[in-house]
Amino acid sequence: MANDGGRIAVLIGQGGGQASPAAFELLNAGRQLARGGRQILCACVLGQGIAGVCDEISFYADEVYAIDNALLAEFQADIYASALEEVCRTISPVALLMEHSYENYELAPKVGYRTGSEVITDCTAIEKDEVSGALLCTKPIYGGNAVAVFELKSTPHIVTIRAKVYDALERGGSRGRVVRLECDLSPSLARVRSMEVVPGQNVSLDKAEVIVSAGRGIKTQEGIDELRRLTGALERFFDKVEVGASRPVVDAGLLSRSHQVGQTGEKVSPQLYVAVAISGAAQHVSGIVGSKKIIAINKDGEAPIFDIADYGVVGSFEEVLPSFIEQLEGLP
Amino acid sequence: MKAPVIIVCIKEIPDPEGPSSAFEIHSDTKQVVPVGIPPVINPFDQNALEAAVRLKDRLGGRVIALNMADKPITPVLKRALSVGVDEMIVLQDSAFKAITSQSTAEVLSAGIKKIGSYDLVLTGRQSADWDFGQVGLLIAEILGIPAINLAQVVELREDGIVVEKLRRVGHEVVIAPVPALVTVSSEVGDLRLPTLKAIQDARKKPVTVWSAAHLGIEAGKLRTRGIRSLTSPSSRARTCLRIEGSTPQEKGSNLALQLRQDKVV
Repeated sequence: MANDGGRIAVLIGQGGGQASPAAFELLNAGRQLARGGRQILCACVLGQGIAGVCDEISFYADEVYAIDNALLAEFQADIYASALEEVCRTISPVALLMEHSYENYELAPKVGYRTGSEVITDCTAIEKDEVSGALLCTKPIYGGNAVAVFELKSTPHIVTIRAKVYDALERGGSRGRVVRLECDLSPSLARVRSMEVVPGQNVSLDKAEVIVSAGRGIKTQEGIDELRRLTGALERFFDKVEVGASRPVVDAGLLSRSHQVGQTGEKVSPQLYVAVAISGAAQHVSGIVGSKKIIAINKDGEAPIFDIADYGVVGSFEEVLPSFIEQLEGLP
Repeated sequence: MKAPVIIVCIKEIPDPEGPSSAFEIHSDTKQVVPVGIPPVINPFDQNALEAAVRLKDRLGGRVIALNMADKPITPVLKRALSVGVDEMIVLQDSAFKAITSQSTAEVLSAGIKKIGSYDLVLTGRQSADWDFGQVGLLIAEILGIPAINLAQVVELREDGIVVEKLRRVGHEVVIAPVPALVTVSSEVGDLRLPTLKAIQDARKKPVTVWSAAHLGIEAGKLRTRGIRSLTSPSSRARTCLRIEGSTPQEKGSNLALQLRQDKVV
C-alpha cells in the first residue's frame, strides 16, 4: 500500500461491545482525507474487552490500534489522554479525528496540550489544503451566526467533528491489520475520581423522526402537556416522536436537559421539526438546520424562526395547537 | 473548612441572544462585527461567577475575577464587582488580540500564577462567540491541576472539590483535591442581580491591570488564530409557506390539511 503521506487516525467511540454510530462517520471523514493524501487510515480503539469492536472496525480501516486495559473500562479523561498520547507517539498520525462528544470535549484539549497541537472543536467539515499541508476545518461560530474555516498547521491536526455531518463509511471487503499496543497506565494518572454515576432520562432526540419543541413562549406545564398531545397525534404517522426544548425552557425547569436542542444541546436532523413558541435565536437554529421539514408556530410574525421554516403559522400556540391536533386526528 | 480563594475567568462578548441580523460578517477582515446589541459577560462565565459567589456565601473567602483583553476594562466587566466579586484583575495588552485558545490559556495561567495562592479556578464551559470550549481545560493542563468539565453543581468540602458533572444523559459526581479547575455549564443557574448598595460598593473595589511584561510573557510567542475565511452560514433560509386562516383555530386545522396535501403526514 502506498503510504507516503503518513497516517490519519480516528478515535473510535465504543461501549457495550459496539462502536458508536459516529465512529463510522469519522471513518468516512478519515477515509476521504486519507485517499487525497494516499495515507493510511488508522482506527484507535481504547477500552476494556474491545476485541470484538476491533474485529468489526478492521473492515473499515487499514490498521486498527487497540489499547485493551482495565483502566480504560470507564471514561476517565486523564487516563484516556495518556493512552491516546501513547498511540500518537507510536504511530505519529498527521491527523487525529474525534467525535464531538461530551467525553471528547474534555479529552481533545488534553491530548492537544500533551502533543503540542492546536485543536479545533465541533467541526462540520475538514479538508486538506494541498498547497500548505494545513488541515482546513469548517466550524460554526457565534452560535451559528457565522462560519469560519480555520487553518490547522500543527501536527497531529486534532479535530472534533460534529455528529451526522458525514455519512457512515460502508463496510469494506477486506480487513485491516489489528495491532495491540501496550501502554503503561496507572490509576494515579487520574486527577479526578468518580464517586457516582446518576442516570438521567434518556430522550433519543437523535433517533426521532419527529421532534416537537417548546420555546421560551411556553411558560407552564399545561403548555408542555399540550405539546405532548401533539406528539400523540403525530404518532399516528411517524414511528418515533419526541418532545424537544430550547435552552430557556430547560433552564426554567419545565423539561429536563435531555430534551434540549441547539448549540449546547443536541443537534438534530429529524424528518419533521415543529418549533412551538421558539423565536429562532441562532444557538437554537444551529441545532435544527439539518431537519428535513420545519414547522414554526409563533405569535410574532417577525420572529427569525420563520426564515428557516418550511411552514409558518402566526398565532399563539394555545389557540393554534388544539385545532391542529384535532385536524390531524381526523385525517383519514 | 478554611475560607477559599476562588478565581473566575470572565470574558466580554456581544450578546449571543441577539438576532442573526446583529452579527455582521466582514469577510474581508475575517471578523464578526456586532451591530446594535450590547456586550455582555459571556453567559457561561456568568454561571461560573454565580457558582463562585454561592461558595463564598457559604464559606466566606474571596472571589477574584480575571479577564484577558487587548483593550481597557469595560463597564460591563466591572459589573462583576457588584455581584460578589472582591477584586478584578485585568490582563491587558495589545498582544492579546485574536490569540488561540492555547495562547489565551497561557496568558490566563500566567495571571493565575502571579495571583499565587488559590483553591479553585472557575471558567464558563465555553465562550458563546468562538465556541471552542478549551481554555479552561488547557489552563488546568498548564497549571498541572485537576480539571472537571461541564459542572452543574460545585461544592467545596474538607476533602476537596465535589462536582456534579454533566453526561450526555444524567450526570456523574466526581471529587478532586484542590487547587482544581472547574468549567461551569448553564445548569448551575443564572447570575444574581446586584443590589443598589452593592453597585455603590463596587466602585471602591480594586481593579489591577497587568500587561504581558508584568506576566513575563513574550508577545512573540503568542499565536493568533489562523482563519482562512469567515462567511455567513450558507443556504440556511427556506421558503416559508405561511398558513392563512381567519382565526388561529382555522390556521391550525389548515396546517394539518396542508401537511396532508404535501404528503408530510
